[in-house]
Amino acid sequence: MEAKKLKIMVIDDENIVGKRLKPALEKSGDIVETFENGESALARFDEEPFDIVVTDIRMEKIDGIEILERVLAKSAHTKVIMITGYATVEIAREALSKGAFDFIAKPFKPADLRAIIKRASKELRA
Amino acid sequence: MPIIIISSDSYETGREISKKIAKATEYNYVDREILAPIAEKFNLQKGQVIKALEETPSLFGLSAKLRNRLLACIEEATVGKLLGDNVVCHGLAAHLYVLGVSHLIKVRVLSDSKKLASQLSSEAGGSADKIETLLKRKVKKRKQWSLDAFGLDETDPSNYDMVINLSQIDQDEATKNIAGMTVYRKFQPITYSINCLKNKDLACRARVVLMEQFPDVKVRADGSTIVVEVKIKKRTKQKIAGVIKKLAGGVNGVEYVEVHAASDFR
Repeated sequence: MEAKKLKIMVIDDENIVGKRLKPALEKSGDIVETFENGESALARFDEEPFDIVVTDIRMEKIDGIEILERVLAKSAHTKVIMITGYATVEIAREALSKGAFDFIAKPFKPADLRAIIKRASKELRA
Repeated sequence: MPIIIISSDSYETGREISKKIAKATEYNYVDREILAPIAEKFNLQKGQVIKALEETPSLFGLSAKLRNRLLACIEEATVGKLLGDNVVCHGLAAHLYVLGVSHLIKVRVLSDSKKLASQLSSEAGGSADKIETLLKRKVKKRKQWSLDAFGLDETDPSNYDMVINLSQIDQDEATKNIAGMTVYRKFQPITYSINCLKNKDLACRARVVLMEQFPDVKVRADGSTIVVEVKIKKRTKQKIAGVIKKLAGGVNGVEYVEVHAASDFR
């Protein structure tokens, strides 16, 4: 039986990130929507929840940590993956203790993110 | 699972509690036993390798060059063990050179110096007060050593996730508290922290190879790329860069080598 397609949301204020990740993640047959700010992403999440949210941390107005908190408050089963070019031990630990599924520093290869998503989807389907 | 690094003002106390933590968590215990192959490599006694972890270079002790090479080998061996996961590590100064890894729990255990002094006094003779003074002097020496070797003060509590004073809390209770930290979500391994440790491992392995010819070399790694900083004169830069690229390129896992002329060496 074919596995249910995952709905993945990618949020990053650098549009190149969404542009590059969308086709890379769609290769697995999943549905990917990209957003360049937290407001529009959260508005979309209010309409319907996503299985996986990939979000940058440093963004104007709404940062990745706030997105993490608001997404998990609305949908506890959603797996939130944090990406950042400013990774530190403190930020990584904060994100994890607030419920992030994983955390990866930029730059990364799309294959690295796909591996994390594969683990997340296994947990979602378990 | 997280990795636990124990640092203590007393090697014996640190070892004792580390073994208890390893037993409670069912983790592997890593200590100075891993130094034997390094001693063999340098044709030294294990005690001389341990000196690199305890003494600053001196006229009658280890030379700075040998001390630095030994420390680089100790780093390499230790980080290799930490990659194995489920580890309690003690006695190898890992808290001073494995930095920026979020699934590494660093704990400072302060021994009960009065109790330790009276214990040592009954074992070896001499007044407990005198031994306590000697122990305090030893801590000062350790601080000096850590600053000299790694530029970090190991007695500074801000370098740790937890500091436990055994004069206020007994060893079994301390063991329970430290082992309990391993279930905290914030200390679980993540892609970022695993990659940091892998990068550190690759950099350490490349540094050990390069140090034989370039004692002052600095190496950092990102994935399969390593960046080497070395003191080079302008006219020999190209030649030396070629040698470094050849040597480092032979290290398992290295695909690309960048060489920079160093501007600032501590």
